[in-house]
Amino acid sequence: MFFTLIRLQYLKSIRSTSFAKSALATGFLVFISLLLLSYVFFAGLFLGRIIDQFAEGKEPISFLNSLLIYFFLGEFMYRYFIQKLPVVDLESLLHLPIGKKKIVSVLLLRSFLSPLNLIALLLFLPFGVEAVQEEYGVLGLISWLGTLLGISWSLHWFMLWFKQRFEDSLLGLGLVFVIVLLSGGSTYLGWFDVGALVAPFFTAATQSVLSAVGALGLLLTLFIICYRYYVSHAYLEELGEEKSYQVSDQSFGLFSRFGVAGELANLEWKLIIRHKKSRTYLMLSAFFLLYGLIFYTNPAYQTESGISPIYIFVGVFITGIFMIQYGQLFLSWNSSNFDFFLMQKGGLEALVRAKYLLFLGVSGVCFLASVPYVYFGWDILLVHVATFLFNCGILVHVILYVALWKPKPMDLSKGAMFNYEGVGAAQFLIIIPLMAGPYLVYLPFSYLINDYAGLLALGVTGLTGILAFGPLSRLVTQRLLANRFEISSSFRQEL
Amino acid sequence: MIQVSQLKKQYKEAVVLDIPQLEITKGECFGLVGNNGAGKTTLFRIMLDLVRTTAGQVTFQGEDVSKTESWKSQAGAYLDEQMLLAFLTPDEYFETLRKIYGLSEADLQLHLSKFAELFNEEVLGKKKYIRDLSKGNLKKVGIAAAMLGHPQVVFLDEPFENLDPSSQIRLKKLILSELETSKITFLISSHDLNHVTDLCDRIVLLEKGKVIRDLRDKSEMLNELETYFVG
Repeated sequence: MFFTLIRLQYLKSIRSTSFAKSALATGFLVFISLLLLSYVFFAGLFLGRIIDQFAEGKEPISFLNSLLIYFFLGEFMYRYFIQKLPVVDLESLLHLPIGKKKIVSVLLLRSFLSPLNLIALLLFLPFGVEAVQEEYGVLGLISWLGTLLGISWSLHWFMLWFKQRFEDSLLGLGLVFVIVLLSGGSTYLGWFDVGALVAPFFTAATQSVLSAVGALGLLLTLFIICYRYYVSHAYLEELGEEKSYQVSDQSFGLFSRFGVAGELANLEWKLIIRHKKSRTYLMLSAFFLLYGLIFYTNPAYQTESGISPIYIFVGVFITGIFMIQYGQLFLSWNSSNFDFFLMQKGGLEALVRAKYLLFLGVSGVCFLASVPYVYFGWDILLVHVATFLFNCGILVHVILYVALWKPKPMDLSKGAMFNYEGVGAAQFLIIIPLMAGPYLVYLPFSYLINDYAGLLALGVTGLTGILAFGPLSRLVTQRLLANRFEISSSFRQEL
Repeated sequence: MIQVSQLKKQYKEAVVLDIPQLEITKGECFGLVGNNGAGKTTLFRIMLDLVRTTAGQVTFQGEDVSKTESWKSQAGAYLDEQMLLAFLTPDEYFETLRKIYGLSEADLQLHLSKFAELFNEEVLGKKKYIRDLSKGNLKKVGIAAAMLGHPQVVFLDEPFENLDPSSQIRLKKLILSELETSKITFLISSHDLNHVTDLCDRIVLLEKGKVIRDLRDKSEMLNELETYFVG
């Protein structure tokens, strides 16, 4: 029975539609995760040397021990965002005479086979062999590494329980944010040092197996809590990735001034707010507003006169992230109701106009929200103005036009992290004009005259694009109209 | 066989099911009718312990369904597509069920041979995943799966929906012959009054979560129901 269930899990993963229908995206995903894991492993290999660089003269093991708590806090955060809940198969198994306990065990077991659970091992094993074993012997290594893995894997079970239990409340996450901020901030301000407070526990792990036993005990306890919770809540309405949200009316009054297109833009806004995947995209846009903090404060990009070319890229991203992220999947967002638009008189034209309205609107909001960057210099405001105009005049058309190349259906209720549904070759190709476009305009003028001329060229090109909005957007509409039957039939295929 | 007592299901304020007492006896064909939102599917789900009750209990041969699971090998059900393993082909699905129910291959063949007419050569032996089947064929797979493993009770939610007319008649014949030969208890919900009155010797009418009629007189059933639904 156990083997039957495990075999089913295996079949399910290799036959999942995204795997079968989009080999490219899956291959890419596998490649990326292998790449990331190998980075982690290499980071692990060089961890000793990295520590030497950063903390010269300090004892590497105790230095690392004092940082471990931050690693686990970080692990908590990425697990919260990435880790998936293993409950999707419940409905198809619950009514069979298998027993909830068996079903839950297999689901939990499967959830454990995740690259996330390798990170701690890959990162700390090389350092452990190199430094801890050297100093404390094999037993010390086993005990130290066992403690770390015990905690890391405890987090796995804890997260499965935590996410299910506090599904809709951001309270838990907020709490962790506060803890992370407080612990980081207090160390920075010198009140107290969480790392140093917890370090003795990890240091003790190198000398006695008690810490490891404690961590493994924690692992077992959390597994049992998680297991019991899942068994006792193995009902259709209770375990699930997302519960139904309260329907509420959220619309932009502003859009309603634009007639049918405005109505559709409001519709699209509701679509965004009411689906998990799109909500995440929206949140990412807000998050990317902070992108500038990385670049504008970095001394490497400060120049004596003029503007660092990298700022153009940053500006394009900050003011246009929503149209880039959300727009590249253009019609896939509407894949489950595309026929609705097809059926309406002038529906597709209105849909395209609605999307433009939404993208330009959100871009405008992003631009306004990015104005405070002027704190880092007037140049940055100029960059944002130029890139904003360029986004609205040129890039938005490019993105929508390329995105019309074989759009794929997707399920909006799934999460956005590592979800490559709807992604095809077009979404990879789109990166080229996105990166090269602004520089093609900017660099010649910047080299021949000066950086401000480059910005002016960007702005003027953008303005020209805005003035030529009619004909440019007609290109997109024409292409959509020409391909509408193909698109509709590809959307009707099962996901 | 199945006993419902003081059953209540509530979502926040809204009471969707309120059944003080209901008993289904062995070998009965129990029909459940009612307009949309009357609580038919919810009642089935609660009887199968797929949804938690707010109050009250359901017992299956004396066992509380939410306390034990041994009854699951004696109850088959097909309520919706979610209950199937959509990533398998129908053959693989039946094979998996065969293992779960601990049947022999001959048992499975015998069982499937009863469905040969209903399947109409469109289900078995095809290299097609269940998720790619038409709605009608999905239903057929689900019904065949529900009746697998010699269950004592079979729950079917809208079994005639999405089936073509000849399949509907074949299915009816199949259920009637099962009722006669293997004394399976059937619980069937349906909007098709003709089919359900043809099959069932008892029909319960739900309205807003309450049992408002419990009809046992076969000759009067159809008339009474029609009067109710015409309104």
